Amino acid sequence: MTAAEAPTLAAIQIHENERREIVLEKPGTYHIELIGPGAHANIHGAFLTTGKDECEVNLYILHKAPHTSAQTTLKGVAKDHSHIRFFGRIGIAPNCPNTQSFLEERVLLLSDNAKAETIPELEILSDDVKCSHAASISRIPEEHLFYLQSRGLTPQVAENLVVEGFLEKQ
Amino acid sequence: MSRFAAKHTTALDDSLKDESYQHGFAFSTDQYKHIIKPGLNEHVVREISHIKNEPEWMLKLRLEALKQFEAKPTPTWGGNLSEINYDQIRYYLRPTDRQEKSWADVPKEIQETFDRIGVPEAEKKYLAGVKMQYDSEVVYGSLKKTWEKDGVIFLSMDEGLAKYPDLVREYFGKLIPSGDNKFAALNTAVWSGGSFVYVPKGVEVKMPLQTYFRINAPNAGQFERTLIIVDEGAKVHYEEGCTAPSFSSNSLHSAVVEIFVKKGARCQYTTIQNWYKNIYNLVTKRARVEEEGEMIWTDFNMGSKLTMKYPGFLLVGKGARGETLSMALAGSGQHQDTGSKAFHLAPHTSSIIISKSISKNGGRTSYRGLVHVAPNAYDSKNTVICDALLLDPQSRSDTYPTDRILNSQVQIQHEATVSKIGEEQLFYLMSRGLTEEMARKMIVNGFIDDVVKKLPLEYAVEMNRLIDHEMEGSVG
Repeated sequence: MTAAEAPTLAAIQIHENERREIVLEKPGTYHIELIGPGAHANIHGAFLTTGKDECEVNLYILHKAPHTSAQTTLKGVAKDHSHIRFFGRIGIAPNCPNTQSFLEERVLLLSDNAKAETIPELEILSDDVKCSHAASISRIPEEHLFYLQSRGLTPQVAENLVVEGFLEKQ
Repeated sequence: MSRFAAKHTTALDDSLKDESYQHGFAFSTDQYKHIIKPGLNEHVVREISHIKNEPEWMLKLRLEALKQFEAKPTPTWGGNLSEINYDQIRYYLRPTDRQEKSWADVPKEIQETFDRIGVPEAEKKYLAGVKMQYDSEVVYGSLKKTWEKDGVIFLSMDEGLAKYPDLVREYFGKLIPSGDNKFAALNTAVWSGGSFVYVPKGVEVKMPLQTYFRINAPNAGQFERTLIIVDEGAKVHYEEGCTAPSFSSNSLHSAVVEIFVKKGARCQYTTIQNWYKNIYNLVTKRARVEEEGEMIWTDFNMGSKLTMKYPGFLLVGKGARGETLSMALAGSGQHQDTGSKAFHLAPHTSSIIISKSISKNGGRTSYRGLVHVAPNAYDSKNTVICDALLLDPQSRSDTYPTDRILNSQVQIQHEATVSKIGEEQLFYLMSRGLTEEMARKMIVNGFIDDVVKKLPLEYAVEMNRLIDHEMEGSVG
C-alpha cells in the first residue's frame, strides 16, 4: 500500500456487517475503510461550481476485509471559469475475496471555460473481486435541451432542469 | 481463431514447453566485431559516434543527452527501477561488419537463433522485406523492388543517417527530445540500430514492414531508435516482434520511436514484446498526427521483468484520429506498466484506447493513461476501456487513468473493470465436456479476442499460441 492509503485520523471506518450511507458535503480528502466482513458503504457526492471555484475531491476507498462492498458516485457540474477535480481510488488489500466495488465519476461542463479532471484509480491485490469504475466528462447533450425547449421551456430553465436531475441522488 | 489455436498447442514444439528454455539459446559473443566495455561515460558516447562515423551534430546531440540523463532522477511513480545497474550494461555491440545481402550470407549461428524463435513460418513469406535486428545492428535486410520503385525508404537508422542526413536531422528528436524523460535521454546518448522509414506522398505500402529485434549478449542494452515519416495520404503498417533468450543478469532495453503522420496519412505500429523475463523494457513512443491523419498503436506485452511503455499520440490537425490497442500479460515476477497518452490539440479529433490485461502467478499489470483535451479542441471524443483479469489471489491489477479536460464541447468516457474467471463460466464450459484447463484457456482467449483480431493473421495465431503456452498448468 502506498503512503496515501495509510489510515489517517479522518478515516471513516465501517465495521462488520455495518451498512453506511455517506454523503460528501464539501470538497476535500476522504478516507473510507471497510474493515469488517460484510461491511457496505454507499458513498455519494454532488458538487456544483460557479465563478472561479476550484473543487477538489480526493477519495480513498479501502477494502480491508473479505465480503465487503461499496458503491460510490461523484457528480459534478462546472459553470463559468470553475474547475472540478475528482480523484478516487479503490484499493483492495490482499486476501479480501468476494469484494465488490464500483466508482462512478460524472462531470457536466456548462461553459467553454470550465475545466474538469477525473482520475479514477484501481489497485487490486485480491482475485475474487468485481471491481470497476467509470468516468465521463461532457456537456449537456443538445437533444436534451432541444426536447425541453420544444416543450416550451427557455434555454436557461431547460439547463437548470437537466442539472437538477443530474445531481439528484439516485 | 481461438478455436483452432487450441489445437495448435498440442503440436507445439517440445522445446517451447520447457519453462527453463523459453525461446532459444544464448550464443557466445566471441565473434562480435565491437564490444564496448560495460559502463557509460563521455568516452563511450564519443566512441560509439566515432565507430559509426556520424556527423558532428549527432555527436553533439548525444553528448547533450548524456548530461541530461545524468542529471535526471530515476522516476519513482511507476515500476521499481532501483535495481538497474547502469555500469554493468554494454552500450554498443556490433556482430558483423557489413549488412548481409542474402539470407545465406547471414552467419550460421545467427540463422540458428532466428530459427529457434519459432516465428519463421510467419516471416518467411516476407523474408525479402524483413529487416532483423540481431543485437545492435541490422544483420539482414533487403527491400522489395516495388517499394524501392515507389520511393519507400526502409533502412536501419544508422544507414538512414548516413544516406539521408538532412531528412533525419529535420525530424530526429523533434517529437521526443532528449530531455523528455531519463530514458529518452539515455537512448539519445547511446542509440544504435532501429529503423528509418519514409513513405512518400500517396504511397500505400500494402505489405507490413517487419522487423525482428533481438538481444543476444549478456548485459546488452539495446537502444534502438526508430523514425517513421508517413507523408501526405500515404499508408504504412510497421511491425516489430521481440523475443530474447535467457540471461542471468538484468538487461535493459530502452527504445525511442517517433512517428510523423502527415495530412490524410495512416500509420499502424504493431509491437509484440516477448523479451525474456529479466529484461527492463523502458520505451518512449509518440506519434504526431496531422489533419485527417490516423495513428494506430497495437501493443502486446508479454515478456520482460518490467515494462513501462505508454505509446502516445498528439492529434494536432483537424479530424485527426488515434487508437491504441494494448494487451499485457504478467506472470510471476513481472510487472507490465503500460497504457497510452492521448493529446487532443485540434478540433474534431477522436481517440480510442482499449487495454486488456491478465495477471497470473503473482504478476502485476497496471494501466496508466492520460487523456488531455486542449481548450481549442472542441467536438473531440475519447473513449478509454480497461479490462483486467486476475487469475489467482496473489496477482495484482491497477488502473491509473487521468482525464484532463479543458474544453466543454467534448465527449470523454472512461471505463474499467477488474474480475476473475467466473465460477459459473467455468462450470458451464466444463458441463459441456471441456477440462478445466481448456475452459480457462477458452475464457482467456475470448477475453482478449477483440484486440487479437486486429492483428495480422500470423501474429494472431502466434499470439493465441503464446497465451495458451503461458496458461499451461495454470490450474491451481
